[in-house]
Formats: sequence, structure tokens, C-alpha cells
Amino acid sequence: MNKQEFLTSLRSALSGLPKADIEERIAFYGEMIDDRIEEGMSEEEAVAAIGTVDEIRKQTLKDIPLQKLVIEKVKPKRALRAWEIVLIALGFPVWFPLLMAAGSICLSVYLVFWTLIIALWAIEISLVGAVFSAIALAAVHTVQGSGLSALMPLGAAIFIAGLTIFAFYGCIAASKRIIKLTKKIGVGIKSLFVAKEKKQ
Amino acid sequence: MDIQLKRGLLDVCVLAAIKNEDSYGYKIIKDLKPCIELSESTLYTILKRLEGAGLLTVRSAEHDGRLRKYYHITNSGVRRIEEFKEEWKEVISIYQFVMKEDKQ
Repeated sequence: MNKQEFLTSLRSALSGLPKADIEERIAFYGEMIDDRIEEGMSEEEAVAAIGTVDEIRKQTLKDIPLQKLVIEKVKPKRALRAWEIVLIALGFPVWFPLLMAAGSICLSVYLVFWTLIIALWAIEISLVGAVFSAIALAAVHTVQGSGLSALMPLGAAIFIAGLTIFAFYGCIAASKRIIKLTKKIGVGIKSLFVAKEKKQ
Repeated sequence: MDIQLKRGLLDVCVLAAIKNEDSYGYKIIKDLKPCIELSESTLYTILKRLEGAGLLTVRSAEHDGRLRKYYHITNSGVRRIEEFKEEWKEVISIYQFVMKEDKQ
């Protein structure tokens, strides 16, 4: 791929971004290629050294906030005609609920993941609570003089304590996974607003 | 390595690369190569972040009939490097303690 092809492909992969953001990136990567060529690399080598268009696209999506992408998408490309404004106003009862629904779906997906994390940690906390209540029960039995009946809750306390420690690491791992997943979904949602790279 | 920690380290690395004289994208990548391999897209993100935080400024200058962007460190940028040096004295003494205890 030569420089021109690479930059054209990058431009189409980033279309949907605000124009200034696209131009700035094109200039940045173009300069990088030129500097490598100046140092003696061939054009093909210089392009290959930059990395793939898809990598740049993914990194760019991480950097740009979702609001910016949405605003760019809904911003009209030209001034609206009078009848279009009338149509938008009349169509309000139709498009507004649809828009709200789409927004609510995105929000609820995030809420589901976060509730999952909260639920996991709630289980962990209740296990800790169970350990202390079992110890308390054992203490009560001992004070009342029935040392033997204290053994059962004491055993339970030790068992649950083991379970708590085990579950703690599980909770941390699961939380990390879920947070990573929400980030991936975030990039996925942003992708909807930016054109996919055309197959060469 | 922890992502937050790595991000902070890369920021200081790039600031250090432009500290003594203004530099441009490809030169920064080359200068950092012995220390860390930085991809173009990562560098772009870092430069944007540093510019947004007011730690560097950007100017375009002509070079060989084309425009090249040069990055210049600001006073806040220099201060950031000084802060980093102070913070890392602490980190190094912690590291030395850990190594000493580990050997015993």
C-alpha cells in the first residue's frame, strides 16, 4: 500500500468523526510516513511501519467521547428547509419515544453489568456477616456453659471464612472481566457511528 | 503493568523527549525506542492528552516543502517532570526495601 492509498483508507475508516478530528489525524500519520521516507525507507515500508488502519481506528474510538460522535451524526449537513422543520416537529411523537427507547437500552445494558458487580460484592459481604454471626453464636453457647454445642457454629464459621476468602478472589476477577466487557461494548456502540473500513 | 501507572510513565517519557529541544512525532518515537516501543496511535493519544493538560504546545513549521508539527514543553510540563523525579525517589526506596527483605 502506498501513502495515498493508506491515507484514503484511513479517511474512510474514520468517516463519521468530526471533520477537524479526521484532518488532524491524516496530517499526523502523513507526516510520520514522510519522515520515514526522508530517512531512507521505501514508501511501502514506511506505510507498513505505521500499523494497520484498523488499529488506528480502534485507538481513535477509545479517545473520542461518545457525545461528540452522536452530535456529529445528528448534525445536519446543510441548512434545513422549512418543510423539513415542520416534518420534524410533526414527527416528534414518533421519533422522540424511539430516541428515548434507544437511550434507555444503552443505559440499561450498563446498569445490568453494574448491578451484577454490586450483587457479587453483596454476596461477599453477607458471607463476612455470616462468619461473624457464627462466631457470636459459638460465643453465646460457650458463655451459657454448653461448650459442645458451640462446636457446630464454630466449625461453620471456619468453613464460611474459607469460602469468603475463596469468593473474594472470584469477585475481583469477575469485576475486572465485567468492567473490561463494558469498555468493549462502549467501543462497539461508538463503532455504530463511524464507518467500517472498506474491504480492499 | 498497571494501566494508570503505565499511562503516567509514558506521559513523562514523552515530556522528557521534548525537554531539551522541540521535537516532532517521528523523532520522539525514535528517541524513545531504546527505552520503550511506542506505536504511532499511542503517541498521538499521549500528545493530545499532554496538550489538553497544558503540558506542551504545538506549532507547525515548514520542513523540506511540507508542514511538520513541533512540540514544545511548557513550564507546567517541566514541573511535571520534577514532580515525577520526587515521586520516584519514594518508589525507589520502597523497591530497595522490598529487595532487601526478599533476599533474607
